[in-house]
Amino acid sequence: MKRTISFAAGILVLALVFSAWAEARRPQPMPLTPTLTGETEYCLTCHADLEEISPSHPVETYGCVVCHGGERLALDADLAHSTMRGGKNPSDLAVVEESCGGSDCHSGQAADERDHIQRVLTSVQATYAGAIANIRYTFGAQPDLNAYLGTRAVQDTTTQTGITSLAAFDPARETNPALQTFAENCLECHLNSEPRPGDEYARFSGCAACHTPTATTFPPRSRDAAEGLVHTLTTAIPYTQCNTCHNRGNYDLRTMTFAPRDDQPADRIHDYYQPIAQFTRCEWTLDCIDCHTRSESMGDGDIHNNQKEIQYVQCRTCHGTLDELPHTRTLTDPNDLAFRLAALNQGARHLELGDTIIVTETGEPLWNTRQLPDGTFELVGKATRQYFTFRPVMGTACEQKPDEQESRYCHQCHSAER
Amino acid sequence: MNEKDVTRRDFLKLITNGLLTLSGLLGLGGIFRFLTYQTDPSPPTEFDLGPTTNYPDGSRTVLPRVPAVLLHTKDGYSALSLVCTHLGCTVNEDDSDGYVCPCHTSRFSANGSVVRGPADRPLRALRVEEHDDGRLWLYTA
Repeated sequence: MKRTISFAAGILVLALVFSAWAEARRPQPMPLTPTLTGETEYCLTCHADLEEISPSHPVETYGCVVCHGGERLALDADLAHSTMRGGKNPSDLAVVEESCGGSDCHSGQAADERDHIQRVLTSVQATYAGAIANIRYTFGAQPDLNAYLGTRAVQDTTTQTGITSLAAFDPARETNPALQTFAENCLECHLNSEPRPGDEYARFSGCAACHTPTATTFPPRSRDAAEGLVHTLTTAIPYTQCNTCHNRGNYDLRTMTFAPRDDQPADRIHDYYQPIAQFTRCEWTLDCIDCHTRSESMGDGDIHNNQKEIQYVQCRTCHGTLDELPHTRTLTDPNDLAFRLAALNQGARHLELGDTIIVTETGEPLWNTRQLPDGTFELVGKATRQYFTFRPVMGTACEQKPDEQESRYCHQCHSAER
Repeated sequence: MNEKDVTRRDFLKLITNGLLTLSGLLGLGGIFRFLTYQTDPSPPTEFDLGPTTNYPDGSRTVLPRVPAVLLHTKDGYSALSLVCTHLGCTVNEDDSDGYVCPCHTSRFSANGSVVRGPADRPLRALRVEEHDDGRLWLYTA
């Protein structure tokens, strides 16, 4: 009996000593109680050196868990990370509503321009509806070019386009082998997909595909970015990020494969763009987001058949035509969306009441423009912070025909020599 | 008792008693630690702002550690929380005597009312008391 007690006492002592040793090895918790949640979390114990993700999301206000999930009080890495949403990327569209949603955040009212998630989920960038419809029509799987399927099923109960839903594209239900090959090889450039392997394609999925710049090819960026270790959200998106999907090569419809370009783009105008295309100076000196609007890139809340239906900004949006100046708006309302957009892209443009900016045909503010006293206009690059001045077409020697107002006609005279 | 008197039995008994005592002490230590565990303190809700003479009539003093702004007008002392009512960021003073949130650009007037969203509620008014000893106290709860 005594031997048993002695043995049990020995085991108990060993267990207690081991517990004390294990606790001594544990890091001293670094508590943070974010204003937003009021719940203490210990994530900074290991992640204190992580850069602040954006000025709009200060860590002392949000903490980490409200976006990333995870076990907020765990000091063991595996346990702490076990319930994170979306792994390293809480903006993946599968979890984005839980991570970035909420009526005060990115899932608010359309009237307040806070319905980002709803718009992105139905956007062409997420549904890839145009490409799917095009290929299915080409191979006889559907009678027309209208969108019926998307990368995921989506619904739009307040449709303005007449398309109320898309079903999920399921390659297993396609009878034509070409469509199954399409699904295998050509569905890597939408917001629901993981990118192709390779630094030149390095991006996240979901919101971070655009708002977390990871592009590594042009100009060279850090390897950390390529390995998904970047912790940044920005509205100053360089064109290099767009090019992790765009401009990377062509699809070969005969073999239904992606044919990546075999050169390494270095010079933006001579090497970068597709050789057969024409580009004006704006298109190879500005970033894509300097002209293309949030509804073009993130969607307008409606389901569209294809990219062409949603992408509407043209040369004339900023330059007008021979008969018409560009649409402008003088900012008289302090609640004008232009102020919010300008402020969220910190440092690019300080707008003031009384400034006159260009607006698109649908009224979207091009907040990075401003009319100067002499009637010309100024544009600041959202990512580069470079300033450009330009003038309207009206009053110039341009011989543009009234019925030829699309950008392709401008390209005939104004494309860059290559 | 000389050394030859310590039998194997006595030695084992000593070890057993020693282990039992040690395990008992360690166990009691664990219980003591459990009972006396101090959780992280709650944020303070009362702030001693010092003597009233620090805040002359007409002054507008930002108190970063609260965060709040203390106003001394002809009507007396008052204070506004500088926590944005949208998501809780700390607002800054702007160049027109109002406040602007650095996170999502909500703007508030000098009296805390909303000038521009997304915040839809005014900055919270905080209670300020002048104590008999001539010191000001601010209460956030």
